[in-house]
Amino acid sequence: MGSVVLVVRLVLADLRRHKAQAAMLLLAVTVATATMALGLSLRGVSDALYEQTRAATAGPDVVALSGDTGPAVTAALASLADAPEVIAHHGPYRIVYATLSTRDSISSPVVVQGFAETPGAVNRPLVTSGRWVRSGGTVLERGFATALGVGVGDHVTIAGRSYPVVGIAVTAATSIYPWAAQVGPGGGPSDYSGLAWMTRADARTLASSKDLPVTSALDLKLRDPAAADAFRHAHRASDIRINFHSWQFTAVQDMVILGDSQPILVVGSWLLGFLAITGVAALAAGRAVEQTRRAGLLKAVGAAPGLIAAVLLTEYLALALAGDALGLVIARLTVPAIASPTASRIGDAPGPGGATVATATVLAVAVAVLSTLRPTLRAMRTATVTALSATAHQPRHRPWLTALSALLPTPLLLGLRLTARRPGRAVLQACSTATTVIALVALLTINAQPERGYGLDGSFALPNLRGEHDRRLMLAVTVLLVALAVVNTITFTWTTAMEARANMAVARTLGATPGQISAGLSAAQLLPSLPGAVLGVPLGVGLLSLFAARNAAEAPSASLLGAVLATLVATAALTALPARLAARRPVARILSAEAA
Amino acid sequence: MNVSSAVVRARGLVRTHGRGPGRVRAVDEVDLEVPQGQTLAVMGPSGCGKSTLLHLLGGLERPTGGEVWMDGRRIDTLSERALARMRRRSVGFVFQAFHLVEELTAAENVELPALLAGRSRRQARRRASLLLERVGLADRARHLPSRLSGGQRQRVAVARALVNDPLVVFADEPTGNLDTAATLDVLRIFEDLRAAGQTLVIVTHDERVAATADRLISMRDGMFVDDTRLAGTGTGTGTGTGTGTGTGWLGGLGGLIGLEG
Ligand SMILES: Nc1ncnc2c1ncn2[C@@H]1O[C@H](COP(=O)(O)OP(=O)(O)OP(=O)(O)O)[C@@H](O)[C@H]1O
Ligand SMILES: [Mg+2]
Repeated sequence: MGSVVLVVRLVLADLRRHKAQAAMLLLAVTVATATMALGLSLRGVSDALYEQTRAATAGPDVVALSGDTGPAVTAALASLADAPEVIAHHGPYRIVYATLSTRDSISSPVVVQGFAETPGAVNRPLVTSGRWVRSGGTVLERGFATALGVGVGDHVTIAGRSYPVVGIAVTAATSIYPWAAQVGPGGGPSDYSGLAWMTRADARTLASSKDLPVTSALDLKLRDPAAADAFRHAHRASDIRINFHSWQFTAVQDMVILGDSQPILVVGSWLLGFLAITGVAALAAGRAVEQTRRAGLLKAVGAAPGLIAAVLLTEYLALALAGDALGLVIARLTVPAIASPTASRIGDAPGPGGATVATATVLAVAVAVLSTLRPTLRAMRTATVTALSATAHQPRHRPWLTALSALLPTPLLLGLRLTARRPGRAVLQACSTATTVIALVALLTINAQPERGYGLDGSFALPNLRGEHDRRLMLAVTVLLVALAVVNTITFTWTTAMEARANMAVARTLGATPGQISAGLSAAQLLPSLPGAVLGVPLGVGLLSLFAARNAAEAPSASLLGAVLATLVATAALTALPARLAARRPVARILSAEAA
Repeated sequence: MNVSSAVVRARGLVRTHGRGPGRVRAVDEVDLEVPQGQTLAVMGPSGCGKSTLLHLLGGLERPTGGEVWMDGRRIDTLSERALARMRRRSVGFVFQAFHLVEELTAAENVELPALLAGRSRRQARRRASLLLERVGLADRARHLPSRLSGGQRQRVAVARALVNDPLVVFADEPTGNLDTAATLDVLRIFEDLRAAGQTLVIVTHDERVAATADRLISMRDGMFVDDTRLAGTGTGTGTGTGTGTGTGWLGGLGGLIGLEG
């Protein structure tokens, strides 16, 4: 018990002394776990929203869609309703393919379903505002209405005829906007379209007056909803072509709009976690001397090696777990906005599931353990006396580097020698830069993808919601990645400057100017950034190719080159401030402090 | 501007630390002239401002008041950058704590100021090996400082201070961390430098070091309380190599090297 008190006391003392560092670890882990939890929650939330919409709208277990209309089709569909597995049905009903325009002259393909004025037992769209269809009025599907910016009381023009919008509703019988058509005329492919309902009579009039394409559909409720796929297979061999959409199929289709969101978030969270590790590892390494000395002190007063490891790890684990909890809360709060880009589904988003919580926690613990493993092990292994007298790390001589650097201008010479001093940190800086460039490559590539708007003939009067969602998420993830990389670069430069301050002060007594010193410190960060930035491009392209569609477009090389250059310029600018601050410190004071 | 042969000159030099009641006058209205070729020893109790004085004269610290002149040029008004250039060309420092760069070998430490001053790699190497030989460490050129004794490290530091052929060498308790044998090694080098006409300002607690000087200043509470010309050892003004009068940096070495044999 006593040792627990001791561990807690030491951890608290340490946290108090290193507030900025604690905040950075907390922030990095929060961002990484929130992103990961979001990415992993999407599927569950999408399913849950579909499930709730299905329950609220008496969603069918199977929708039978025929590409045609006429007595034969109607008879074939009607015969399905008599199948023994079926306990209730709705339809067959008409689906008319038309064009809808709003008063703001936004035009979109629309499918109009002819429904009874009193809904039946199956597929009862839930009216979320206004009322259900009546003669002369139309009800718009909520996702469609939201995209159009149309509300109850507005008028829309369908196939040249004006209809008042009497209500807004949702249904689980069709895919979300803009995939409401499900099949096109003749059973062929369909365009992005919205969904509208009218009375049966109005739908019939609409179709015949303009000779519009029409298909038929039938909604079925099965005795065993889980057997929807079996029903599909059993009734496929009909002489009239019928498409069966099971409710499970529709639920999976809802994920299509999130198809890229998940990899963006999950891969983004790996990269964020990686940056968190590099940043925290650099900080931990910067403190290694102090920690080793503290371990020596503890050993000297009789603490067991286990206690020392416990103190070092507890601090980082506690911070990482706090960040994890915070990240999960943030994910919980933001997931409704991210998991449902359209308004086609209703219901509450559930919190992250057990598997998501476990995975995010594993990520947080991995950040804590990986970034502190080395200092912890070193502190445990180092003999007490050595630890007590620990000073700077053991210098290593790299003659080839010294020889090379002698040929260079002074700042590069200093930079190269600083880089050589801490090869581990140089690698971390390179990785950090590479990660930034990977994110930028992904952002540029996503922005370079060709896409069609959801409006008529691919017009962007109705924007492509999926593409917009992807770009917005990618931008958010990139901003987070760049922010962490910025913090890392500043940390690296400052740590390097602090470690090298004695040598830099000596160099100044020997006649190096403050400008040369700060340029040298910047160069020490820029030198490893250069290969990092260059490697980031192929790494980013490679990573994207794992997820991208086969026909995905590549970002223009000029913009990739621009990203690399911008990253390097930004790194140079970011290192300039801490480097200048460090180079400004009075030489005499540093030297007397070092000698003390 | 060559009013006197003074290499270093200070007028009304003041340096204070802190504010209010806790204010310390580390250096208090000091006037000083160090002629070319003079070896000046500064002694005094701990905290009397010796190190501060040295830092002010060498341009490592800025005075709160007064003027500092180096080779006829006022330096207390110079920018940091110009000060750095001045140090490169005209000043060498030796510290009690050696302050060698731990990652660099003895030879590389000595080369460093030469490279900073823009010498070619070859020139720097040749100059470093001459100087290391001069301080008796030719066989240790490739050693890292961690593998050298304190006395050896200090001799490397002296060699480093000399590599750009400075007008003046400032040494702050150069033997403070050394045992008797090592102190004698360093003293012998200082003797040689003095004989060669090198201007030297040495802050020390050690009577043996002070005894090698031409002149001894005693400090107390930031002020000079005594300024004595030491008889016997002094050679007067610099008749040696005429440093700073245009002889090349390798040319200046001639006198220095010749002394050993
Ligand atoms: N950075 C500083 N801030 C405040 N006071 C300082 C600072 N540096 C020096 N001092 C004060 O200035 C005075 C002179 O210091 P200095 O280091 O020059 O003494 P010194 O004669 O070299 O002493 P020692 O023989 O112990 O090296 C001391 O009283 C010291 O406390
Ligand atoms: Mg002192």
